[in-house]
Amino acid sequence: MTARSEFSKQTLSVLAALCAQPTAWQHGYAIARDTGLKSGTLYPILIRLADRGLMEARWEDEQPAGRPRRHLYRLTADGLASATAALAEVTPEVKAQARAGLTPRRRLSTQG
Amino acid sequence: MDELTRAMAAALRRSAALMPAGRREWIEAVLAEAAETPAGWQRLSWLGGGLRLTLPQAARARGLWYALAFATAATGIAWSAWSGPPGDSAIEVNRIDVIVITVILAGLPWVIRRACGPVASARLPRLMRTAGYVAVLALVLAKSAVERVADAPPNNRGGSAVAWAGEAAFLAVMVGYAAVILACTARRSPALPAATAIGTVTGIALGVMVYLLGPLGFPLRFTDPWPAHLYDAALALGAVVALCAPVAAGLAAARQAARTRPAGSRAGQGAIAGLCSGTAAALVVAVLSTATIAILPYDTGLQHWATGHVGQWTPAIGEVTPVLRSRVGYVAGNSAFAAGYLIVLLISPLAGCAFGAWGGYGRPGSRGLRMTKAWPWIRRSPIGARPASQDQ
Repeated sequence: MTARSEFSKQTLSVLAALCAQPTAWQHGYAIARDTGLKSGTLYPILIRLADRGLMEARWEDEQPAGRPRRHLYRLTADGLASATAALAEVTPEVKAQARAGLTPRRRLSTQG
Repeated sequence: MDELTRAMAAALRRSAALMPAGRREWIEAVLAEAAETPAGWQRLSWLGGGLRLTLPQAARARGLWYALAFATAATGIAWSAWSGPPGDSAIEVNRIDVIVITVILAGLPWVIRRACGPVASARLPRLMRTAGYVAVLALVLAKSAVERVADAPPNNRGGSAVAWAGEAAFLAVMVGYAAVILACTARRSPALPAATAIGTVTGIALGVMVYLLGPLGFPLRFTDPWPAHLYDAALALGAVVALCAPVAAGLAAARQAARTRPAGSRAGQGAIAGLCSGTAAALVVAVLSTATIAILPYDTGLQHWATGHVGQWTPAIGEVTPVLRSRVGYVAGNSAFAAGYLIVLLISPLAGCAFGAWGGYGRPGSRGLRMTKAWPWIRRSPIGARPASQDQ
């Protein structure tokens, strides 16, 4: 029997993406690309993580040429600890799926 | 595709206003990242996801739902009032009626907001404001249905000048009603929520009672003696209740005010409770009676009942002529009916306010004016008021 994580599979995939480079600031589209999540799923997760103090967010300091400033995300110390614990709790299969950045639909099909 | 993407981005940018201030940067983040996504369906899908983010917030924004509900109701009433031949004066009156009422009901909250603030955050004031607006819109809908017949030839004996004058008076009265509803339910309203609630509940009960005593706005006629006697007794009792109810509402409101407000405000709270009771009573009776008259041409059972119970009564203004079938009531509607309900709509709140103030002013124990001053023949005692004559 596997322990049930407090995070959904989609959240775990976001945490896994952020955990992959815990000190680096990542932007939304990069996380979406890594996790395969759509913006409508990804951003509510990012908002919840920020609200719970597990993730910090900031805007790029300088205005880059040719594109708008990015909103950047990074796990806090608490977030990193929670993410590491949550990823350790789940089964290796789920962890692998989260790290592989499979979309929920694809994950369901592989589970089935 | 580019136009669609631009439109979606613009919609997302605008929908950011629906989000709480602390959440808007997330919409800006979605917009910023949209530039990174490949152009075409992927970018459109990305922006669509951002819109999905704002939808729950939009659903939680009550103001948006109220605005949508109001727009839907106003559109429905306009559609109903608009039908008819273009040269018909009744249709022209109805169209002006709907346009002006919609503008008044949409614009007046902004005016009242400057003076009394936005709607109070509690559930009751919001419910009362919504119910008040529903009642005004229902009255406009029913009135337009009645006037389509009452102002059309050959019933428009007063001519179009009378119809337009009546319309102007009706719109002026409705401005007053909307202002009372909005002011009493605003955050910085001088009215105590309890005073407003007491007055409104009293008024609704009073309005229903008056409607039941004369659904078409006239006293009923009974041929058998016993029902006639019973009805006369009910009318007399109804008159007493109609006079006493605003006083009782004022008294109850003053009692509530005595707990939280300084002594000088008790009569004011009584007046507000009376004003609310008169406003609610007039609105309820006008809506119910006008709606009953509006369905009269389409309901043969109601026509049969009206023919048997209405008529042979000469009011101060105009003469009720018993006319069979669909025109019963409408002959009176063009003259006595319209004027009669305008008088009810005008007098009832003012009378309610005066009676309520009297009730609040004479509340036992109030420092402003005690019961002994309001009713000199009554002396206050520790166990309550009783006639002074008993002490002698």
